[in-house]
Amino acid sequence: MPKLTSEQVKQLADNMLHMTNALGDYRYENFDKLTEDENKKIKEIHGQMLNYTTELYTKSALLTMEDIESSLAQIDTISAKTRQLYKSLTGVQNVIDQATGVLKIAAAILSLDTTQISASIKKMIG
Amino acid sequence: MPPLEKKLTLVILCSFAIGCVNLKHVSEFSDSSISALANYETLPTSFAQACRENCRQEHIANFNVYRTECDCSSDEKADSITRLIYTTSMQYFEGLMQISDNTLTYYETSDLSGILGSGNFGPVQLQEEDVKAHSKIATLVLRAFSDGYRRNRIKQYIKEADAPLQVLIHFLRLNLNGNLNGKLEVQKGKAQNLYFDLVNDKSLSTYERTKFAEDYFKRISQIDENQRQLQRFDEVLDEIAKGHQTLYANLDGLDDNEVKGRLARLRYRLDQAASFLSSQK
Repeated sequence: MPKLTSEQVKQLADNMLHMTNALGDYRYENFDKLTEDENKKIKEIHGQMLNYTTELYTKSALLTMEDIESSLAQIDTISAKTRQLYKSLTGVQNVIDQATGVLKIAAAILSLDTTQISASIKKMIG
Repeated sequence: MPPLEKKLTLVILCSFAIGCVNLKHVSEFSDSSISALANYETLPTSFAQACRENCRQEHIANFNVYRTECDCSSDEKADSITRLIYTTSMQYFEGLMQISDNTLTYYETSDLSGILGSGNFGPVQLQEEDVKAHSKIATLVLRAFSDGYRRNRIKQYIKEADAPLQVLIHFLRLNLNGNLNGKLEVQKGKAQNLYFDLVNDKSLSTYERTKFAEDYFKRISQIDENQRQLQRFDEVLDEIAKGHQTLYANLDGLDDNEVKGRLARLRYRLDQAASFLSSQK
């Protein structure tokens, strides 16, 4: 037998809630006509039905996992690709920055400017 | 025009023509979607919280203050699944926003040209003017290439993501405005089930019965407020889903005035809804 989907379970929970509310309304409208025992019994059943209904809503929420698994994996893959693309595009700027740093050191060495050499190295590794 | 410049112009034009995705719209829509989605964090209730409140109410109804543990593990799991859908959707929009940011491929080469123009490279002497001119062209070519590549990638990602994203948003809505909202409806029923007898208990004083009625209405208005916020967030999710569909359906015509107008209206509604939700914190 095929399993129920999250949406089917949610639909069942909605229907159950309507029936439960109808039972509650019956008791509230006939409160004075019902005996104390009848009131107590209907109140108990009403309470239990409410508990089952809320459990059904939770069950439906849990079942969504089965419906979304492949979509989650697809979006995860695409997000990973966007991160990779971002990394490679910002990588170009890093390469330019690093090359500029190396060039600065080279220029300082060639001009024999020791202060500049030290400053450039600090900037590169900082 | 010298042959080299002709070639460069051709390369740049080709790169722009490869994928005509207007990145500004993608970036702005992603930005608005992120702000709107982030309101998930401020939702006033959750599955686990609803479970704990129901459990507490049961103990109150049974006059029980001893051994009051509540098993809400299933609801905690439901919250984890719902959060997983939210974070996955959020990560997608964050990635999309990062890669569609227009400043991403504005490569800064002024430092490099400055060094090349003014540095002492022994026998090699470079004219500062020439270096600047070449650097400008190199930057332009670099940007054209990376932009063309980037536009094609973004177009492909939006196409690939639309169907699964629609599924994720659909189930996020089902869980929040469907299932969690249903649990809040049950809470209302439980409150009525408890308070009805107390309010109608003629052995109690009028003051006590009035107080119970007041407590009941206070509780109902709290739940109503939580439901309103879920409803509002549901509208936000609907706008995000529609917005992504509009992006997907018009990837090649994002410069069209009608499409631009539709996207601008969408963003406006998203921003409005997001700021309304933020003001409810």
